[in-house]
Amino acid sequence: MKPPEPDHQLFERLRAGQEQAFVALYHRRQPALYRFALQMSGSAPVAEDIVQEVFLALLREECGYDPERGSLVAYLFGIARKLLLRQFERRRLDVPVDTGGAEEGRFTEPVDASDPLADLAARERVEALRRAVSSLPRRYREVVVLCDLEEVDYAETAAALRCPIGTVRSRLHRARLMLAGKLREERHGGASIPAWKAARCAI
Amino acid sequence: MNCEEYWNDMAGPEPEEDFDAHLAACPSCAARWAAGRPVAAGLRLLAAEMKNVSAPPRVEAHLVRAYRERYRRSVPPAGEARRWWAAAAAVLLVAGALWTGVRQPPPSAVNSGLAAVAASEEEDAAFVPLPNAAGSPQDDDVDLVWVELPRSAVTALGMPAGDDSDAEGVEAEVLVGPDGMARAVRFLN
Repeated sequence: MKPPEPDHQLFERLRAGQEQAFVALYHRRQPALYRFALQMSGSAPVAEDIVQEVFLALLREECGYDPERGSLVAYLFGIARKLLLRQFERRRLDVPVDTGGAEEGRFTEPVDASDPLADLAARERVEALRRAVSSLPRRYREVVVLCDLEEVDYAETAAALRCPIGTVRSRLHRARLMLAGKLREERHGGASIPAWKAARCAI
Repeated sequence: MNCEEYWNDMAGPEPEEDFDAHLAACPSCAARWAAGRPVAAGLRLLAAEMKNVSAPPRVEAHLVRAYRERYRRSVPPAGEARRWWAAAAAVLLVAGALWTGVRQPPPSAVNSGLAAVAASEEEDAAFVPLPNAAGSPQDDDVDLVWVELPRSAVTALGMPAGDDSDAEGVEAEVLVGPDGMARAVRFLN
């Protein structure tokens, strides 16, 4: 079977005026970008706008993507993130349901290693997790959405977020613990033990 | 390796071999790591549930339009080019046909596309088949082109030109076939 054409080749062809390459790249990358924007903003219209703006950016003369400097995926998510941050600043969309002081480095640490999802039905589990993800502070939410939900690898996530790969790893783990804590709270009606001081990232 | 180094350096979905030793030796980190596992599993479920979520088709439609605008500005789409050529041809053909004073009885049957367009119009003014439209191929693919013609064109077709004969011209709509030939004309004023 013929391997799929690499992103950077599609990019070159679309810049040469080949519409099929543009459409192919759109179909390949749009769903993950849309879901990322949707999870981050919580708004379908905003997610649509972000996807549109990301791909319009590819058409501009001063597009700025250089295959030598990184993957197109990281570039696209990077633009989407930048646009989202702009949206957050403009519309103050980034209002988590409950930050619980997590932005300050405090989060609920599990008391034991038992599965906090064990006694929830599968559907409820997913819904609870969805709520928990959207209530994460932005910097933790974005790594969860990119790495865990969209399976973007750590290196590309780091490139998109413009931070070291170690930061992605540590944020991701912290985010998972926050999620476990949030699910535990939901299950037990809010009991939590604030602990662990999270390292702040410069970005 | 202490706990901080462990979590800062390794926080992937599964422990790497180098870090297994720390987990084995540190019950606290082992518990934390185990606590994160079911969340990772739940996230996989959530990801699977959202797999088919994507932007609505209107986003793609808008982007494709933008792409064409950006990359094909100098080369208009075939349909658009044809429309402009048809407009130019229509003016020449209508004017030419009327100037030569060719008077033929209107064709008994106007082609189906022409008839369909004409029938859809609810205005009083009807399309008048042009002499050169007789025997034109039957097709539905006609373009409607707006033109301005000399007032004499109205009288050439045997229609009243109206009182304001000093006016410069009359607006008309011309049906143009895919061959670029004008089929019928309708005067708008």
